[in-house]
Amino acid sequence: MGIKVEKTVEFRISRFDPEQNKHYASTFKVPIRKGTTLLDALLYIKDNFDDSLTFRHSCRMGICGSCGINVNGQPMLACYTQVLDLGADSLLLEPLSNFQVIKDLVVDIEPFFDTYKRIKTFLIKPEQEFKKTDEFAQSPQDLKKYWDLTLCIKCSICNSACPAAIDAKFLGPSSLTATYRFISDSRDQGLDERLKPMADNVWLCTQCNSCTMFCPKKLPCANAILDDHSLLVEAGNIPRTVKDVLESVYKYHNPMGTHQSRRMEWAKDLDVKTFPTVAKADVLLFVCCSNAFDPRNQEIARGMVSILNRLGVDFATLGAEEWCCGDHMLRLGEKGLFEELSAHNVSMFEKLNVKKIVTISPHCYNTFKNDKPYSDAKLNVQHYTQFIAEAIEQGRLKLPNTVKRRIAYHDPCFLGKRNDVYDAPRNVLRSVNGVELVEMKRTRQNSFCCGGGAGRVWTEEADPDKRPCVSRVKEALELGVENIAAACPFCITTLEDAVKVLDVESKISIKDILEVMKEAA
Amino acid sequence: MEKYSHDLIIVGAGLAGLRAAVAAAEVNSKLDIAVLSKHHPLRSHSVCAQGGTGAVMREKDSYDLHAYDTVKGADFLADQDAVEFFVRQVPREIVLTEHWGCPWSRNAEGKIDQRPFGGHTFPRACFAADMTGFLEMHAIYGKATSYNNIKFYDEWFVTSLIVEDKAAVGLTAIEMKTGEIQAFRAKSIIMATGGHERIYEFTTFSHSTTGDGMAMAYRAGAPLEDMEFVQFHPTGLVPSGVLITEGARGEGGYLLNANGERFMKKYAPEKIELGPRDVVSRAEQTEILEGRGLQGPYGPYIALDLRHLGEERINLRLPLIRDVAIKLGGVDPVKEPIPIRPAAHYSMGGIKANVKTETPIAGLYAAGECSCISVHGANRLGTNSTAECLVFGAVAGEEAAKHASSSSLHEVPQEKLSAEENRIHEIVSRNGNERAPAIRDEMRRIMKEEVWIYRNGPQLETALKEIRQLKNRFRSVRIEDKGKPFNTGLLETLQLDFMLDLAEVTIACALPRAESRGAHSRTDYPKRDDQNWLKHTLAYCTGDGPRLEYMPVTITRWPPVARTY
Ligand SMILES: Cc1cc2nc3c(=O)[nH]c(=O)nc-3n(C[C@H](O)[C@H](O)[C@H](O)COP(=O)(O)OP(=O)(O)OC[C@H]3O[C@@H](n4cnc5c(N)ncnc54)[C@H](O)[C@@H]3O)c2cc1C
Ligand code: SF4
Ligand code: SF4
Ligand code: FES
Repeated sequence: MGIKVEKTVEFRISRFDPEQNKHYASTFKVPIRKGTTLLDALLYIKDNFDDSLTFRHSCRMGICGSCGINVNGQPMLACYTQVLDLGADSLLLEPLSNFQVIKDLVVDIEPFFDTYKRIKTFLIKPEQEFKKTDEFAQSPQDLKKYWDLTLCIKCSICNSACPAAIDAKFLGPSSLTATYRFISDSRDQGLDERLKPMADNVWLCTQCNSCTMFCPKKLPCANAILDDHSLLVEAGNIPRTVKDVLESVYKYHNPMGTHQSRRMEWAKDLDVKTFPTVAKADVLLFVCCSNAFDPRNQEIARGMVSILNRLGVDFATLGAEEWCCGDHMLRLGEKGLFEELSAHNVSMFEKLNVKKIVTISPHCYNTFKNDKPYSDAKLNVQHYTQFIAEAIEQGRLKLPNTVKRRIAYHDPCFLGKRNDVYDAPRNVLRSVNGVELVEMKRTRQNSFCCGGGAGRVWTEEADPDKRPCVSRVKEALELGVENIAAACPFCITTLEDAVKVLDVESKISIKDILEVMKEAA
Repeated sequence: MEKYSHDLIIVGAGLAGLRAAVAAAEVNSKLDIAVLSKHHPLRSHSVCAQGGTGAVMREKDSYDLHAYDTVKGADFLADQDAVEFFVRQVPREIVLTEHWGCPWSRNAEGKIDQRPFGGHTFPRACFAADMTGFLEMHAIYGKATSYNNIKFYDEWFVTSLIVEDKAAVGLTAIEMKTGEIQAFRAKSIIMATGGHERIYEFTTFSHSTTGDGMAMAYRAGAPLEDMEFVQFHPTGLVPSGVLITEGARGEGGYLLNANGERFMKKYAPEKIELGPRDVVSRAEQTEILEGRGLQGPYGPYIALDLRHLGEERINLRLPLIRDVAIKLGGVDPVKEPIPIRPAAHYSMGGIKANVKTETPIAGLYAAGECSCISVHGANRLGTNSTAECLVFGAVAGEEAAKHASSSSLHEVPQEKLSAEENRIHEIVSRNGNERAPAIRDEMRRIMKEEVWIYRNGPQLETALKEIRQLKNRFRSVRIEDKGKPFNTGLLETLQLDFMLDLAEVTIACALPRAESRGAHSRTDYPKRDDQNWLKHTLAYCTGDGPRLEYMPVTITRWPPVARTY
């Protein structure tokens, strides 16, 4: 234990005085030792500098859930975080997001707890069972099935990070996880009753994974919600919008509802090779249904072809044999359909002895890397931003033109949050002459989802102010950038939609990184 | 000031308060029940309880064994009728929480698993991994929210209890969100506000355990019982006091002094580090007092060394302890010893109540750690506290519900409400030159230096004088924050006010008890004295400090014998 003060850290704290209805900021310098937690620092400030500084705390051991705050944009427990571990000399402390601020760092958590009142947080069984004077039996194996999900301390950190939670209709990550906790408890017999409260809103979850990333108790919330989806799919209790998407995929093997024979139309005039017409190619380009069929996004696919050609890469696509990768279907809970799609694609990869896959969409990339059976096939897969960033680094790609523009990069969740790919896309953008890359306030790990994941891109029905994409475009507008660049077809679709909804087409436009590159080519 | 009325009000939403709410709702579905808590219920201290809840669940165990372990652990100061009742009730409570969904750890047959715990002669600690209190709380809260007749007032800070003609008629509370002071009337009131460990700086307890309910009941005329008995746990993490569980020593961790010696060999040659809590705590304190503690920025400490266990074993067997040490102490036990020292860990004393949880004030009930019934006597056994909260929480809920069903609301005199409003208003608007944190720290210094594990007459006298001076200084405390909503500066000052009363009572009760019993160790009277001191202390509030009375201990079947392990 070091006696010495290791350093002095500047705490910038976002304040709110409810009586004056005034937002302001205060700055304090706090001596930090080994062992000093964020909460210790806050208490130090309150004791020594300003007794009006207001925050919640109680257990100071990470179990009561009181002390969640945003620190440099990331939600965390103040009592369970060593200041030195943050590795910063200056910290910005703000109240949790998605809640009304009562005072300083204290937010109104009542709506958060209200979501628990919409579900049943106790065992459901026939009445006479409760007359038993013995415990209900449960094997250690059965206990294990839901144990992790019982550890939620209701700190609301997940809710603060959740893009779907901007719509109060959404039950929220922790209540949806609690629902699944009871469903998977072998003692419980309330399945039907438990499905009801979530049936009309669980689909708002985009599977962005923020809840899971920031949960201080490491609850696998996003996966629990996926399992909720599955149960609803099994029960046939799904909204029409979701049904339509799934039906398209059953029928056509793509969610766009277009016959697979037209899958290569985007490349009509481009002379792109397809398997099995060619027997061999160095790289398999996995196009993605959205890029293949959506006229807007076909431009992205075409941009990719021109880069590959410029690099002289020997590549081919699966042509009509490229089925939907299934990422959205899996996350909508249609596990059976996902199995069918993935089995087909994996068999194609194997049949053609594919050595390297480059995907245009982060969703294909993610599922190839992380979901069985793809992950078992140990595919050598890159997202296109990684592939291009490598070429740039090796000096193989130079783009002649200048694109003089301020651009904010929006991290697609399935690239960033789910796969930690943050730098490659930025490096690609920076390599374009004239581009000034601007960071949004919510960026990298703390980025804010566009709202398109888990099929929501096709099922969106919420009011504009409850749509994540609208919030995101507003954030970019504040920066005065001309473009938001993304590297995902679904981000492009949702964000572009938000630009239209907000009627700001004259101020800002949405570009895939490939489109920015095309301008520079 | 708005006025609210309910049949039954429960102050506190920890294990005892929530259990009481469910029990009352079960007695009478028409009863209008309110639960007031200064934190959201799930922020209550009870979520911190880790190790287990003791209950006789299996045939080889028996009520008599559990009762005797408890009585012996209590150093014979427990009321044996209460203990006998208590041990018979716990198993039902375990099953109820199980039925509501508590994920108790299981044995291979699918039954609730049990493990050994210090002072218990049978492995009877039911546990839910090392998060027992947390999971009990979530199970009971989940159940409590299903009743339509329980209304929760979360983040309402109760400031005073109103008693008229020796009957509890209502209370006042600050609605924290708005800062407004509101009045409540009720036919029955249950205090379930937890312990007062925060009169000490170094404690395993949450910041919020400031003994408010004990102090409010005391001020309203209820006696506090056995307040001199405060338990110390041997391994509080420096600097926060967070509990490092016994598991660390159970797995083979060493306790080392500044010379690197395993000093416990001297104090408990057989069990060494695994001796009983009070023995280990006293040994550590002796090492520190005799200058063999290690020196750190937060004072002398003892090293809990796990390094010889190796990273693999630590990760496998003690993952949570490693996490806690890293996140809260900034030390990785794989690489360096964990700094620990004894920490205040339980208040055996509390509002005097009988087996029905009735206090001497009609309509006022007390349950959980704020009460003294007394099943813990001079020293509580591990796992008996959560058990007590469940059992007597349920009793309080039932008794208070019955009382409320057969009585009527009383008027709360306006002058009492105005007086309370004025008291709080005066505190906020004071222009004194004292600051609450300074007085708080001074109180804690006194409690640490003079009313800690070892006590003696002269020190206790000095402490009493000093605390009284502090109470004077408190009158000039100035709060900078003059705002109404969520004025935590004010709330902390009110808590300090409560704690100063309780510190005074604790010292005043410890001073005359010229013996060493359970957690009360007098260096000037090192022996237990059943002749003169086999009795409970009662402290009544008067204008100039506590007035003490004594009350016999109820002994049914187990006459006192020497407490050896
Ligand atoms: C780290 C640790 C581990 C422990 N492990 C165990 C164990 O394994 N087994 C065991 O049996 N015991 C254990 N204990 C002891 C046990 O946790 C407590 O004794 C018990 O939880 C007390 O519960 P309670 O319901 O009486 O009060 P608490 O849980 O403290 O609740 C008090 C309630 O009162 C409310 N309140 C207080 N003041 C006011 C006010 N002025 N206005 C409104 N509301 C107010 C609070 O908000 C809270 O809701 C442990 C203790 C600690 C510190
Ligand atoms: S799921 Fe995790 S982040 Fe969300 S409330 Fe529970 S503990 Fe907090
Ligand atoms: S995965 Fe994303 S959208 Fe879904 S609940 Fe978690 S944070 Fe919200
Ligand atoms: S203070 Fe309880 S979780 Fe941080």
